Amino acid sequence: MVAIFGVNFNEQKLVKKALESFYALGPQTSARILAKYYIHPRAKVGTLAPKTVTALTAELSTMTIESDARRALQDNIKRLRDMGTYRGRRHAMGLPVRGQRTRNQIETAKKLNRVERRG
Amino acid sequence: MSAPNCLRCLVRPTAGIPISAPLAAPIALAHAHARAAPFSTTAANARPRKETEKKTGSKDHSRGGKKLQLGKFKKDHIASKGRSPLPGERKAYRKRITLSNDNAIPVPWLTDLGPEALASAENTARVLALPEEVQDQLRAGEAFKPTQCWGMFRKPAVLVRKETVDLANRMQDAADKKQMLRLVVTGDKVAGKSMMLLQAMAHAHLNNWIVIHLPEAQELTTACTEYAPIPGTDPVQYMQPVYVLKLIQAIKRANEKVLAKTYTAQAHPELPQNIPPNTPLLKLANVAKEADGAWPVFQALWSELTAHNAARPPILFSLDGLAHAMKPSDYRSPAFDLIHSHDLALLKLFTDALGGAVKFPAGGAVLAATSRSNAPRVPSMELALAQREAEERVRQKVEGAEVPQKDPFFRGYDERVEAVLRSVQVLRVGGVDKLEARALMEYWAASGMLRATVDERAVTEKWTLAGSGVLGEMERATLLTMRV
Repeated sequence: MVAIFGVNFNEQKLVKKALESFYALGPQTSARILAKYYIHPRAKVGTLAPKTVTALTAELSTMTIESDARRALQDNIKRLRDMGTYRGRRHAMGLPVRGQRTRNQIETAKKLNRVERRG
Repeated sequence: MSAPNCLRCLVRPTAGIPISAPLAAPIALAHAHARAAPFSTTAANARPRKETEKKTGSKDHSRGGKKLQLGKFKKDHIASKGRSPLPGERKAYRKRITLSNDNAIPVPWLTDLGPEALASAENTARVLALPEEVQDQLRAGEAFKPTQCWGMFRKPAVLVRKETVDLANRMQDAADKKQMLRLVVTGDKVAGKSMMLLQAMAHAHLNNWIVIHLPEAQELTTACTEYAPIPGTDPVQYMQPVYVLKLIQAIKRANEKVLAKTYTAQAHPELPQNIPPNTPLLKLANVAKEADGAWPVFQALWSELTAHNAARPPILFSLDGLAHAMKPSDYRSPAFDLIHSHDLALLKLFTDALGGAVKFPAGGAVLAATSRSNAPRVPSMELALAQREAEERVRQKVEGAEVPQKDPFFRGYDERVEAVLRSVQVLRVGGVDKLEARALMEYWAASGMLRATVDERAVTEKWTLAGSGVLGEMERATLLTMRV
């Protein structure tokens, strides 16, 4: 097991997939991180040198990912609500934000649209 | 494809054992039949169902007739299929190389290759076997490919073609004059380009050359092995330590005898182990134990092999799948730009040698083979090879020969590729002639792999089927169709 950014990964896991398991870190960013540290796209976590692992952890800690990214999202929603916008109110009510009908099929909106959105 | 074990054992009987249809027979007769035969090959299910069985079925509350079965195709319904293959096991099976088949008939007239055999014209259109030692060397150098039909015959043998003799002679001439032959083998699909490289390697091994072979250029450029920048290079070059370690070990195993007799010319203080002058190169190669230190060792080995102030054997440096080495690789630099293949240090050594920037002290050859089945399009390479071929025709004053020019409206050309291929020779491998085809088919027949009389008619038939004697197609038409 190799710990990157406080998370333990199996040695057989692709580095790319391991990076993309963090919230708000997608294929584009992970490809760039790999290139920055000279890791080939098919590298597995087990083959990384300890130095590279610490460098990756340091790199990730400077980025807005995981709880930081979630908080940024929640802040955005909160800002909308505090301004009293329609979008903010709809978020607070747990209803669709972008003009969808509410007669039926709003389960996704009910699940996701909150002021304290999960992410 | 014919299997190494006897096919007759695997043949299923087409007409099964006759099963009497007992369901329609009267019950008493069926019972008598069952009692009369203490041993029967008839399946138990074919036994007639008794009346009582039917009755018990109707007693419980299950409804007769067709029923709805849910989850019939779910995973747990399927019986476990035994042990699943371990990681890498399937790939190892796919890539395995079998070089002999004990069920094939040994061919009595088959002789082993000698040091001069591939270069003498009298061996044209003869099938010659690879000696044991050369087999091991070629295997270490990964010259055999899993797609080739080695596993069908008693021992590996090669057909000596006109092109083979031509190539071996060119190599020998270059080595005699201490010059370098820089040549690209090209040709149609399954025409025998990789086989030509294998024959060149066999010739080199038989004549005590040092052989360095990169079996697949794509292993280096498709971003599937580790890479790292080499400090102090401008523009930045990249080493591939894991691949290089593998390569050093392959070189060591393939050229053990020659390397043991070649000695270092200078000391190598940069290596972890002390290597004074006059140490066998084999010992130098042995220094590489881990991927971390592999690249400096390879550099030291290369500088020793190309040192001009010492006695060196000729060197053969070869690569298969040239197109992959002539385009930007899939690796990325930290700025997220694609790295050109020629910036990968190992391929740079090869392309420099192919382009003529490096001179081997005792001469030798730099060979590359193109591939037709696994090749990205590289317009510069295709054009350059076509140009070199046309220039050769113009030199020989062939009528109507014209050197193709660049398309002025196309932007996909690559100057670095053109620079490398500016002065190479091109050897085009096409179909074999009928004499060679006949020799090959006689060998197949003598090995028991071709059950037909090899006469004029059969040879012409297969030769024509194979598009004027394209060897791979001949194999497909003759060996790989199962007509036992």
